[in-house]
Amino acid sequence: MVTITGVIPRPSTYTGLWSWLTTVDHKRIGALYGISAFFFFIVGGIEAGIMRLQLITSDNSLVSADWFNAMFTMHGTTMIFMVIMPFGATFFNFLIPLMIGARDVAFPRLNAFSYWTFLFGALLMHAGFLIGQVPDAGWFSYANLTAAPFSVGKGLDFWALSLQVLGVASLAAGFNFVVTIINMRAPGMSLMRMPVFVWMTLVTSILLVLAFPIITVALIELTADRQFGANFFNTAAGGDPILWQHLFWLFGHPEVYILILPAMGVVSEIIPTFSRKPLFGYPVIVFSGIVIAIMSWAVWSHHMFTVGLGPIANSVFTITTMLIAVPTGVKIFNWIGTMWKGSIDLRTPMLMAIGFVSLFIVGGLSGVSHAVSPSDFQQQDTYYIVAHIHYVLFGGAIFGIFAGIYYWYPKITGKMYNELLGKIHFWLMFIGMNLTFFPMHYAGLNGMPRRIYTYAEGFGWEGMNLLATIGYFVIVISLLIFIHNFFRSIKKGEEAGHDPWDAPTLEWSISSPPPVYNFAEVPVVRGQDAYWITKREAAARGETVPAEPHVDPTTIHLPSPSYWPLITSFGVVWIAGGLLIDVGWDYIRFPISFVGGIITILGVIGWSLEPPAEEHHEAAGGHH
Amino acid sequence: MGQLPFAEEESPNQRRAVPAPRAVSDIPVSPVSDTSSRRLGRRSLVTLALLGGVLILAALGCDAEAHQSILSSTPWTLDGVGGPVAREQLLLFNVLLWTMVIVFVLVEGALLYAAIRFRRKPGDPLPPQTHGHTPLEIAWTIVPTILILGLGVWSVIVLFKLEPGEAIALARAEGKEPVRVEAVGHQWWWEFRYEDPLPGDEATKLVTTANEMRVPVNTPIIMDLKSDDVIHSFWIPKLAGKQDVVPTKTNSMWFLAEETGMYYGQCAEFCGTAHAQMKFRVHVMEDAEYKAWVAGFAEPAQLTAQETRGQLVFLGDGQCVTCHTVGASDTVNPDTGEGVQHARMQTFIEYTQWLAKRPEERLEDVRTGNEPPTAFAAPNLTDLSCRKTLGAGLVELNLENLRDWVRNPDSIKPGNRMSELAAIYQTRTDHRANLTEAQLGDLAAYLLAQGSQIDADICRPEL
Repeated sequence: MVTITGVIPRPSTYTGLWSWLTTVDHKRIGALYGISAFFFFIVGGIEAGIMRLQLITSDNSLVSADWFNAMFTMHGTTMIFMVIMPFGATFFNFLIPLMIGARDVAFPRLNAFSYWTFLFGALLMHAGFLIGQVPDAGWFSYANLTAAPFSVGKGLDFWALSLQVLGVASLAAGFNFVVTIINMRAPGMSLMRMPVFVWMTLVTSILLVLAFPIITVALIELTADRQFGANFFNTAAGGDPILWQHLFWLFGHPEVYILILPAMGVVSEIIPTFSRKPLFGYPVIVFSGIVIAIMSWAVWSHHMFTVGLGPIANSVFTITTMLIAVPTGVKIFNWIGTMWKGSIDLRTPMLMAIGFVSLFIVGGLSGVSHAVSPSDFQQQDTYYIVAHIHYVLFGGAIFGIFAGIYYWYPKITGKMYNELLGKIHFWLMFIGMNLTFFPMHYAGLNGMPRRIYTYAEGFGWEGMNLLATIGYFVIVISLLIFIHNFFRSIKKGEEAGHDPWDAPTLEWSISSPPPVYNFAEVPVVRGQDAYWITKREAAARGETVPAEPHVDPTTIHLPSPSYWPLITSFGVVWIAGGLLIDVGWDYIRFPISFVGGIITILGVIGWSLEPPAEEHHEAAGGHH
Repeated sequence: MGQLPFAEEESPNQRRAVPAPRAVSDIPVSPVSDTSSRRLGRRSLVTLALLGGVLILAALGCDAEAHQSILSSTPWTLDGVGGPVAREQLLLFNVLLWTMVIVFVLVEGALLYAAIRFRRKPGDPLPPQTHGHTPLEIAWTIVPTILILGLGVWSVIVLFKLEPGEAIALARAEGKEPVRVEAVGHQWWWEFRYEDPLPGDEATKLVTTANEMRVPVNTPIIMDLKSDDVIHSFWIPKLAGKQDVVPTKTNSMWFLAEETGMYYGQCAEFCGTAHAQMKFRVHVMEDAEYKAWVAGFAEPAQLTAQETRGQLVFLGDGQCVTCHTVGASDTVNPDTGEGVQHARMQTFIEYTQWLAKRPEERLEDVRTGNEPPTAFAAPNLTDLSCRKTLGAGLVELNLENLRDWVRNPDSIKPGNRMSELAAIYQTRTDHRANLTEAQLGDLAAYLLAQGSQIDADICRPEL
């Protein structure tokens, strides 16, 4: 083994398909995450469209009950695990090393492994469509509806095993960013000088590392039930369906903050830049982020108020859940404080950021109304909750993501997007979003339960559902404009320059797009908003600060590309995929699955025995 | 909103690191020119007006008269609800709603004001570089905390009022006992069982019905919720918030209806294919009517010749009697827990356990004749003619719909267990009932005779 892997040289191509398959460059991995996330955003959006068309009026029969159930299951699963989380990873990957003045992440090959494992897991989940075995028990997949007698077919197996694979990707990424942020900051960047986005990434990564093991346990139990005849959730054999709910939401509530904290970080970068004022109450914003992360572990049972945990438990979780609104509110007040007496430039990223804040306020307030458990007894499992989560996850996370895409577009592509189209995108999406989701509050209060594939007339739900479906198409139009703007500007956009926004963070000090080595010289950080300090000192001397000049990349030691992350990821997904093979003889899936295990082990051995770098880099190397 | 007193103060970090950013505040750093901001202000106002229009439209769509609305006709009244439980919940929601509206207006107002008032004009200098304001931070942490704790204490008090103990106290204060009804959630219909429908009455009887329950007006009702398959949720929006129906445990809740009439309910927890079609109704009746319904329940009916032929189908060719009961309660001895329906639920549980076995093991069982018996809990049809609907609130109950339902249940309700499990649907390739049209007509007539002995004012839908 040693000899085999020892003689396979590391890949040395930096162009073409192989360079993308073997890349360990955090910027390229970030781009891959972004493209994949956007692809699944379209997939999840189409699933939403099928639901909206089915519900456009009463007694509609566009799709069958089972198909509708599959649609809302896949819509939720896709948007959470394959869209918002990888969009977060897009920003983490592209920006964190740049913002902290580092060459790359701490473990570049592990970073590539995270991406490929994510992509393969997501494709495995969707492979169920090809053979008509689509998960259909909801993104929360409550036991014991997932037990074998109530869920025939392989849909739930695809769901559980693919989610397990996605969890591996998230865990690896989580560890990577915790280590990167703690260890690889440029000299002078103390924790309290880190940009808020870096802080929120650190908090999110810690949440990832702590939360995913819980869903892993739950999924192992579910897989054991379904594949090996265990009885964790089989009530007929004495299993407990409530166990699943506790495990799922103990993971699931921190997961909500895994989805929203990166967006909060993005917005905390954009608002100061476009207000030309430092973030108001920086330590308070950082501290509230940490408090939210800690409190997120003490609120999970608010998803279970109607389960019958008793009034004592419900009282406790009512109070803890209501209290989590306080640090969230404090963040909002500080963002408004940042804008107050600022010099505000309402460009697209800022509009998106303000959109985020204004919509998140709505989601936060409706959240308080079902934190109150007696009131939640009426709202639980109605469209009121659907409205709430979409104000938080679409109005919140997605607006934050688009704010970030527009804000860093010139840095990532080197080109400037079209401002007018950007603003049209914002306003259409803002209107469409409210048109889709605001009426859902009323539908829910008028008694419309979630996850119903049809409804009878006479309940007064038609009008609100029609509005929501119209709103969906307004959002679709806004996204078409975005796609057009995105690709057209890459080709025909103006050169953006290295610092179009006069931004305060380090990534703007280097050229756009950033060179492969990021910083030719490791920056020294002398305070918060480090690049503002540099620029204003220069301005005081009557100078301007150009982008850091380019140097010959071969003079800088960089991590070399590697085949092994791809191979190891392939092995991991084969383990899961093997268990899904169904060819008549039931036991064939175990040996097939074992083959995946062997590939994984070979991949890890090859990975660990791989020579450290290419020869000429070795020779030229030296400084880090 | 007045101008907030933001002090121009620097964090210690900043003071150490940057030599006074204010010193450079007069340097125009404006690489981005902006010409469209004025127009934008007007555009955002137009958008707000549009949004307002949408909200009003949506508000028009909210209707306290709607079958399942939890709202009153206006957010400052408490009409439209059916009883004290829903009223407590609505009061709490209304207060929360007004709190939300006030906070919404203040915070969104401040955000919008800041976005419009402090917009950059070409040539503007760098604004004062403030970093925070400690008293302000303390204020906007403490004030919401106090507000929230106040609301929290009230919610906890309400929470305890929703416990079933409250119903017993309420009933006993009037010298009554609450009526206890057991609701069993099945995929995808509801079973209602009254072990003591007339508490305090000597001559009591067991009453079992399905999908439409009947309760006396102004009497606290305690629901004991059970499931023999997956998790469901029991919800009558106008009478009380929901409570989950969980296999392995019994949850309880209560409600009281202050007026007679029909109330709509629906399963609220996703429970599989036909979750959307798992509805039920609550008929709130005058005491005397309720007593008449109980008294007439399961009294033998006089059958016509056609109905008698239908009975033969029910017991014979149709094999309906395997799972359904007519003319009797599904008797259960509360001490031993044994009875017809109980046995059916047991076989269902054993059957689901058997289904969880490996396919090859199941095949072996079938070969050796060891497969479990298939008799399942199905709706009790004893007072069928008293019901308004068929298929758990899905279609109106009448002769034609009933015949269509028996002939081909899949055409009416997806995923129903009847066509999946009953023997008469397994013999034909098109999955229809293996009965002649004449048999179907006779059977429907027989079924609709069920309950005809009960007071005609209460039962007898327009057939």
